[in-house]
Amino acid sequence: MSTPHETTRPPEPTTTGVTKHGSENCATGGTPLLRVQGLHKTYRLGRVDVPVLHGVDLDLGSGEWVAILGASGSGKSTLLHLIGGLDRPDKPANGNPRASIRFRGNDVVGFSHAALNRYRCLDVGFVFQFYHLLPELSVSDNVLLGTMIRHGRFGYMAKRTDLRARAQKLLEAFGLGHRLRHRPSQLSGGERQRVAIARALMNDPDLLLADEPTGNLDRKTGNSILDVLAEIRAERGQTMLMVTHDPEIAARADRIVHLVDGRVVDGGG
Amino acid sequence: MYHALLTRRYLTSKVMPLLASLAVVLCTAMVLITWSVMGGFLNNLTQAGRTLIGDVRIALPNVGFAHYDDLIAKLEADPEVEAAAPIIEAMGMLTLLENRTEPILIRGIEGESFARVTGYADTLWWKPLDEPVKKDRQGDDLRLEETDRTLLQRIYEDGLTLTEIDPITGQPEPAIVLGMEVGGWNKRTDWGGYYPRVQYVAASDGGSELRNIFMPGSGELVVLVVPLDSQGRPLDPVTRKFPVANEFESGLYDIDKQTVLMELRALQRMLRMHAAKRLVEPGGSGVGGSSPDPLAGFFEEDTEGVSEPEVVEDPARVTSVLVRMADPDGDLEAFREKCHAIYAEFTRDHAGEVPDAMMIGIETWEDANRMMISAVKKETGLVLMIFSFISFTAVFLVFAIFWAMISEKTKDIGILRALGASRLGVAWVWLRYGLAIGVVGSICGGLLAWAIVTNINEIHQGIAHTGEWLGSTLTDKPWNWYIWDPKVYVFKEIPHKIEPWKAVFVLTGGLLSCVVGALWPAVRAARMHPVKALRFE
Repeated sequence: MSTPHETTRPPEPTTTGVTKHGSENCATGGTPLLRVQGLHKTYRLGRVDVPVLHGVDLDLGSGEWVAILGASGSGKSTLLHLIGGLDRPDKPANGNPRASIRFRGNDVVGFSHAALNRYRCLDVGFVFQFYHLLPELSVSDNVLLGTMIRHGRFGYMAKRTDLRARAQKLLEAFGLGHRLRHRPSQLSGGERQRVAIARALMNDPDLLLADEPTGNLDRKTGNSILDVLAEIRAERGQTMLMVTHDPEIAARADRIVHLVDGRVVDGGG
Repeated sequence: MYHALLTRRYLTSKVMPLLASLAVVLCTAMVLITWSVMGGFLNNLTQAGRTLIGDVRIALPNVGFAHYDDLIAKLEADPEVEAAAPIIEAMGMLTLLENRTEPILIRGIEGESFARVTGYADTLWWKPLDEPVKKDRQGDDLRLEETDRTLLQRIYEDGLTLTEIDPITGQPEPAIVLGMEVGGWNKRTDWGGYYPRVQYVAASDGGSELRNIFMPGSGELVVLVVPLDSQGRPLDPVTRKFPVANEFESGLYDIDKQTVLMELRALQRMLRMHAAKRLVEPGGSGVGGSSPDPLAGFFEEDTEGVSEPEVVEDPARVTSVLVRMADPDGDLEAFREKCHAIYAEFTRDHAGEVPDAMMIGIETWEDANRMMISAVKKETGLVLMIFSFISFTAVFLVFAIFWAMISEKTKDIGILRALGASRLGVAWVWLRYGLAIGVVGSICGGLLAWAIVTNINEIHQGIAHTGEWLGSTLTDKPWNWYIWDPKVYVFKEIPHKIEPWKAVFVLTGGLLSCVVGALWPAVRAARMHPVKALRFE
């Protein structure tokens, strides 16, 4: 019933001259992988409009690990959802310019529903604070879920062996090779988050969006998750945008962007 | 692919979808069982109606038509016709033992030809049996008595020929065969058989006497009929006493209660429809009037002393000819047309002597029983409608369960959307889920219905015996839990018939109910905002 998403990606950025796995700090110049400009978002609670983001600008270079640091309610998660195509920014109003989220030069804000689905499936991978694994599925099936959506029934069936092998390899790399058939409820918090990271990486996205990935874990486990993320970045040159309220965790990133009351006050690019 | 995976996982890991499936199972089974039993009832009724009619009836009531032997010969010459039989149907009165008189339908038949066209031989009740009937587990049936075999065999043969040997002359004389319920002289048993009653009857001295009422034994009854002339005007009533040769059970209470079968020629004579001679004065009109009444000069064969008028032979007449198809499953309507064509040819051979093809009534057994069939069909339709309406609750049940499940699975929907699933894809997960519940529920419901319907009589028996045992144990008196009591119903067993198209119809209905029930929740799931879904607590 659902159309599988295309497996070919948009062309690589044209001007940076930086390889995918190389790190490019946008604060120092060059065409970013992601450029966010004039992002406004207002939620409506009952009859009251609650503005969350007030014109956020942000650049993210290819292979860069950026942490968005802000207090609770500062709009960090909202920003992540908008960048990830889960939500749409406000339309231009009250003098606000049209918001723009350009990923590899393509305007995500103007994407159709189908293009947005494809973008979420192929270009970004989400890691959530509360893992968000499907409790009825095994660890292996949870990791494979994104590839099932991507390839459709027949595409998946044709590549099933390879995809399963890839999922197993990823999970083994995260120390979960013995947990393939387990259900999420049988795993610890740290294990669940590693499964969630494996799921996010299965479609090999260009951008990993992590929303408080250690927020639900104790310090030690949280650090182990950050180690995993650092390892991924080191090995794959993965571009990562991580949201956190903890300066110590944010310090693990290449660059810290401070978000206060829906505005970038420092480090936006 | 993820649709199939999630459907399978949701279906096997949750109790609620199993409850929805169970509801579909019960609703599907309920409708199918009802339809099968009512359909079986209708089928039994119509087949019982067909038993004494054959497939097509060519009829001209009251006056009847002549040269029927020729018509029968023409019909039986056609390869599509298995057999044909002449009969007369007339209303009359039967004087019962208690000097009561009841109106009855008298059918004059030729035993041999009637048996070839209809299931007459099987309807005769009194005949020797080698094995008890299915429900007679104690072997109480009188027909099993070894000592009575000779008597029962003679009664059976008398029933077939509708004659009985006159003990004085030693010659066969015409006899009648009564419907099993005529006169109320037989008592229906628990297992659906009959015992002759023992009751007080009027005695010749004006008093009453206790008598064993086994009519085929030595019973004689007076039959009264009113013959009609060729224009349908009543003539003087004719009465005659007949011995009772046997009794028949057609399966239709009305027929068994109100019908008496009589030897054809005896009835023809009583109704003045037999072959006879008639005097016609020179000039063309019959003796006794100027009207062209074929019966106006009717007299018995005694024609001595009359010489002047011309003697004209009037052939015997019957009111109907029953026809049976060679192919029992053949096209009934086409067969009726065939009979019509043969009758048209017959009229050409007997122009002016038999009714025109447009005047004669040629109808199928379904047409003849349409009042009864349409009544039962309507009743079946009504019951089905009520049960289908009740079953429609399955739609709401599936809807409610899906609505609750989607609330419970809101986060899953958010995750799917975050992973790139489209709205349509999310909707399809739930529609497919509903479809799966429908498939499982419908198939299991169909199997349950099949198991119940094919064993319905055994189940019924088990329930009845349980009632008897419980009642005897708890209250020293057996409880009557018989729902389908053979003492009351004509059919000894609960009729049933599962027809494949009905099963397909009901199972598809069950399936669609689930899809319809899942439709709105699926749309709701599809329209869910991914962020709200992910943040749902």
